[in-house]
Amino acid sequence: MFKAKRRTVVTVTAALAVLLAGALTVTLLTSGNGKASDGNSVTDGNSVTYTAGHRPLAPDITGTSLTGTAIKLSSYRGKTVVLNFWGSWCAPCRGEAGVLALLDKQYGAKGVAFLGDDVGDTPANALAFTRGAGISYPSISDQGYAVVAQLSQVVPVSDTPTTVVIDKTGHVAGTIIGAVNYGEMTTLLHDAEVTQ
Amino acid sequence: MTDTRTPQPPPESVAEEVEAAHSFSGAKEERGTGRTAEPTAASAGWLRWGWRQLTSMRTALVLLFLLAVGSIPGSVLPQQGTDPGAVQQYFASHPGLAPWLNHLGLFNVFAAPWFAAIYLLLFASLVGCVVPRTFRLVGAARTPPPRAPRNLARLPQTSSYSSTLPPEAAVDGAAAVLAGQRFRLRRSGADDRQRDGASHWVSAEKGYLREVGNLLFHLSLLGVLLSIAAGGLFGYKADKLLVEGQSFSDTTAALDEFHPGRLVSGSDLPPFSMTLNKFTANYIQSGQSRGQPSNFDADVSYTASPGAAPGTYHIRINDPLSVDSLKVYLIGHGYAPEFKVTGANGQVTYDQATPFIPANTGTFQSDGVVKAPGTATGTDLGFMGVFVPTAISVGGTLDSIFPAADNPAVSLIGYTGNLGMNSGVPQSVYQLDTTGMTKVSGSPHLLAPGQTWALPGGKGSVTFVGVKQWVSLAITYDPGQMPALVCGILALAGLLLSFFVRRRRVFVRAVPAASGSGSVVTVGGLTRSDAGGGFEEEFSELAAEIAAAEPAGHSEPEPSTKPEPSKQSEPGA
Repeated sequence: MFKAKRRTVVTVTAALAVLLAGALTVTLLTSGNGKASDGNSVTDGNSVTYTAGHRPLAPDITGTSLTGTAIKLSSYRGKTVVLNFWGSWCAPCRGEAGVLALLDKQYGAKGVAFLGDDVGDTPANALAFTRGAGISYPSISDQGYAVVAQLSQVVPVSDTPTTVVIDKTGHVAGTIIGAVNYGEMTTLLHDAEVTQ
Repeated sequence: MTDTRTPQPPPESVAEEVEAAHSFSGAKEERGTGRTAEPTAASAGWLRWGWRQLTSMRTALVLLFLLAVGSIPGSVLPQQGTDPGAVQQYFASHPGLAPWLNHLGLFNVFAAPWFAAIYLLLFASLVGCVVPRTFRLVGAARTPPPRAPRNLARLPQTSSYSSTLPPEAAVDGAAAVLAGQRFRLRRSGADDRQRDGASHWVSAEKGYLREVGNLLFHLSLLGVLLSIAAGGLFGYKADKLLVEGQSFSDTTAALDEFHPGRLVSGSDLPPFSMTLNKFTANYIQSGQSRGQPSNFDADVSYTASPGAAPGTYHIRINDPLSVDSLKVYLIGHGYAPEFKVTGANGQVTYDQATPFIPANTGTFQSDGVVKAPGTATGTDLGFMGVFVPTAISVGGTLDSIFPAADNPAVSLIGYTGNLGMNSGVPQSVYQLDTTGMTKVSGSPHLLAPGQTWALPGGKGSVTFVGVKQWVSLAITYDPGQMPALVCGILALAGLLLSFFVRRRRVFVRAVPAASGSGSVVTVGGLTRSDAGGGFEEEFSELAAEIAAAEPAGHSEPEPSTKPEPSKQSEPGA
């Protein structure tokens, strides 16, 4: 009887150890890239779209623009806002700037406002770039990533550039991490039109 | 008469009894591993054999040794994770050897499959060893004392006296004394009557704390393992370079390096922010160790979360800032010369303190690049710079003689053309890709603070505005650190307990005296691993006390501690 009990203990231990080792292997080998679509959002590559009704409310971001004027996100209520996190030191940001400048021209009159958030940068470097790239919308001077941290409490802003689309009611409709392209941006802007 | 009083027990029960008296449960089960597997399915047998090999102490020790040996290349060779630049350098200087080392994963040892195999096997081995041991130790701690052996005179320590009391009452008295000494007791019961006849006995055992200590040690060992695993899964480590006057928030976008645990995502970072107000490095000014650092001090302001009350702290070496369960360490520093670049059209295109990386940590001669993209294609300006904090010119070569910024100077090589930054392909801020650029004549150009170099051909100018310093910060969160420490201390405490507490048994058997009234009481004692000694004294004191508990005048204690020869009867002592 004692032997039988002992064998159970050994078996249980063996199973436990194998399970632990297996779990450890799985967690160590998978790079945590699993992205899926739950009921609230759809993930497609580097973009996340939040379905209307499940959109997280964006915090009321405030800051000072590169040229020294005050900016407040809540004053944009009633417009769809494209919030682009960028820096003049960041090559992918410079690369996507043309697309954003074009979209600003096309959608500016259709109730879409563009706003930049310039991170890890100096105003001199940033303004030299926006002038050259033909970007006329304002950017918050956010050298210390304060706005990034604020918005990160709601949606991931894990890299530079990241673009966040906020709907007319101030809720986040979607994010694109990394450089944007024209197609995914227009899709996201049309999705953002649908609000509740 | 003799037949009824001492019925002859079957031979195997004698053996069992002697075994019970002489061995302690812990050792008994150890011997069980010798049993062979039944010849059922061969594969099951092999599996069981493999499992037994894996969980053996020897295998665990070999794996531990392998783990130590395996981490040697991690500290001897440059590692991809910590210093990718040095790896590239190694490839360049050892073109034949480096690819082979790379195939073996020696440039990223701690992520190499063979390294993972070692620690996973070690983990399995430890768990497989510790868990059954734990069950066994619980069993050992709960086992009541064995029956008293028939012949107590054979035990290493014995003593006997005659009592006026009948056997049962005599044993009662002895039991009371033993209970008073906090022994765990086992009395002869009704079912022992068959074996013992008219004799009565009590078995007493003490020192269960030894098993508790052993158990504590093993459980704590498991705790250490789990704590380390928790640290690896839920902890993270990040690096950030911060220039004086700059600030950053603890978000993945702001961090230079982010090494999260397997179950950590960017949104788990606590939202603290920090500003570097001033960095001070003091150096020894004279004597043999001139130029050696004497003190580092990073004066920072921080807020634990947006809107929280700001605090200030002086981060020093080994004096990290603790904020929101994470720690911020000062791990490096350097100089960040400030440059202002204007383009051909006179517009400022770059105005920034630019971190330079020390090439010589003794003199802080540092290298860096300035990338000032122009407002039109082909008008980009780029500079490769060497910064020296205390400049001296040795035969036309710029050198630094002291790590403090006493006489700073910067030597720049200028380039014009296309930096390639608008292509959208990420670049390192510490490297200049000169493929689309041409060198400016007059390079290298030496600048002191405040001086401007007007580039030839009206291509623009660069001003060396001044010098700031930067610090390199390591932000770490290790939830396993405290539990691992606590478990480590508990493991040590358990080990000490199991070393210094000894399990000892005392048996008292009383048989009716031949005279008809009263009884002859024999006391026997036994201990295992009496490393510290002292049981002999304890036993004789105890025996005297038991004898003294008898009604006065009738007891005649005659302690007869057996000398050496009897010890041989104790197996494995």
